[in-house]
Amino acid sequence: MRAREVARAVGVVAVVAAVVVAAAFAGGLLLDSPTQSASPSAPAYQPNELVAQPIADDGSVTAPAGDESKTVVIDVSHGNAVSEDALQPFVDALVAAGHEVRLFGGGTSTIGAEPGAAFNETLRSADALVVASPATTYSSNERAGIEAFADAGGRVLLAAEPPTTTSTSSTVSIPGLTSGSTASASGQPTNLATAFGVSFGDGYLYDMAENANNFQSVYAAGDSGVAEGVEEAILTDATPVTTGGDASPVLTASGVSLSSTRDEASYAVAARNGNVLAVGDTDFLTSGTATEGDNDVLASNVAAFLVSGDKEAGAPAAPSSSSGRTGGSTFSSV
Amino acid sequence: MTSVDADRGSVRGATLVLVVVGVVVGVAFAPQAWGYATEPDGTVAVVELHGTITGDSASAVVDDLREARHNDSVEAVVLDVNSPGGAASASEQLYLAVKRTAGEMPVVASVTGTAASGSYYASVPADDIYVTPASVVGSIGVRATLPSGGVPAGEVVTGPDKGSGSTPDEVRQRVETLRRAFVGSVFAERGDRIELTREEVSHAKVYAGANGIQNGLADEIGGVDTAIAAAADDAGLSDYDVVRMEAPQASVLSQLGLATDGEPADASTEDVFEYRGVDTVQYLMLHGTIETDAAADATGVTANASA
Repeated sequence: MRAREVARAVGVVAVVAAVVVAAAFAGGLLLDSPTQSASPSAPAYQPNELVAQPIADDGSVTAPAGDESKTVVIDVSHGNAVSEDALQPFVDALVAAGHEVRLFGGGTSTIGAEPGAAFNETLRSADALVVASPATTYSSNERAGIEAFADAGGRVLLAAEPPTTTSTSSTVSIPGLTSGSTASASGQPTNLATAFGVSFGDGYLYDMAENANNFQSVYAAGDSGVAEGVEEAILTDATPVTTGGDASPVLTASGVSLSSTRDEASYAVAARNGNVLAVGDTDFLTSGTATEGDNDVLASNVAAFLVSGDKEAGAPAAPSSSSGRTGGSTFSSV
Repeated sequence: MTSVDADRGSVRGATLVLVVVGVVVGVAFAPQAWGYATEPDGTVAVVELHGTITGDSASAVVDDLREARHNDSVEAVVLDVNSPGGAASASEQLYLAVKRTAGEMPVVASVTGTAASGSYYASVPADDIYVTPASVVGSIGVRATLPSGGVPAGEVVTGPDKGSGSTPDEVRQRVETLRRAFVGSVFAERGDRIELTREEVSHAKVYAGANGIQNGLADEIGGVDTAIAAAADDAGLSDYDVVRMEAPQASVLSQLGLATDGEPADASTEDVFEYRGVDTVQYLMLHGTIETDAAADATGVTANASA
């Protein structure tokens, strides 16, 4: 009996305590204002629309085998910003097709020899020449050699890049006035190009709207010749080419702007003048970039262009029959 | 009669005592009542976003903003911005924190110097952006250092990208993704006011205050006090306190160039953002030239060696 009273008292205490706790919990639930607001929506953070898609990178560069093995000389003697490594896909394709690729790294200079004699000597046995992003200008002797080489049916590829630094010399050089290896607009074979009716631009091309994941990677297209089948070549850090005389544009980037003028227009990025092809980009021949987009088609076409010429043997002619020793400020006609 | 008079006298005496007691009690509580009547309606918190944005400096600002949201007396926030931006991820954290705060109370940004790149990102969710003619807004873009690539000499790694983290193409892709998020956010917050196209904004120019107002990247000309008044007005406060939440200060020793560890006084960009002793690809929303010259590298290596 006494135990029952104690139990009842304990029960009452427990029930009352439980009611109080429950009331406090319910009151807390009802009266508490949320301290954390809903997390803000970030409208621009939708992964589906946000993530940049990788560029198609599955092409391969090929070169036509042809009937005979051709010799392609890549000049690296003018501080060219390329090496055999850098042009690997291009060189691989030529070698795989049975052609010979030589790097000209500057001849052994014989005392008393004309400047550029070794270079012209190398050209004599070559079928094609690749000049990519030279840091120094070609001497008038070398330029005359290359002109004779092209006239004789040798194929020449002039690949440029936008000028890398503010250069002291103007981008339009006066042919014949420069002699020796003076610094030119770095990355551009300016005086060679002007000899063939082509001039390279002073800035890079960019496209803020349609680009290959970067404004400096612009799309270029063409429909015939070297640009046959090229619908979306991706040129990174490319410079436009301006044509005159017999040169005509073969590859064009539309709706892009030039960094130096900010003018939006359609710019030619490659031009052909007979046996000479000038391209305002060097990167499309290098590994990593040569397989992106339609670059493989373009690089393959360029390789085919180089090995499909028909050059007379022995051109350019030996120094004894050339226009004579050049030097100082001798003017020579173009 | 006398008893009645005596009763009246005692009642009067009691009343007098009660009145006196009432006066005393009233006087005792009067200051509180006075204070209550003249107390400010609320507080405007001025949150500083100064200096380069790193993970640590962004955390401090995010904490300040959270405190402003949780403190019942804070009715509005003014963001005092003077920063060239900094780490991309930290800038995004700031954007989200400011956006969340702006969802709860008026937030006004006052550009007291530079609101470029990452710090403009942080200012963009504000209701209004106040500038002065010489303050700078814009630089809406992203940059990254390219990885050196390859397996580092003298190391064993478990995969081709362990050393660099990604290929150069993937870095470009990621920078483009971050640009889309940045430009997209700017247009999501201020698309109705910006007079530029997305392409023009992506040029990442900086604009002086007056130009910023013309092209919609900013709203009004005015100093920080104008911004505070505007924020208070938006919050409906006619009488308010101002509390300043300061950005973390560099220690006095390091300001004097005497710090024995930590960043050197003339820290290069790499020193500010890189993890100690590890060269990683940095994604930055930073306005200005990145200093990564060899001399700075040498300083960094020295600091690492002695730390």
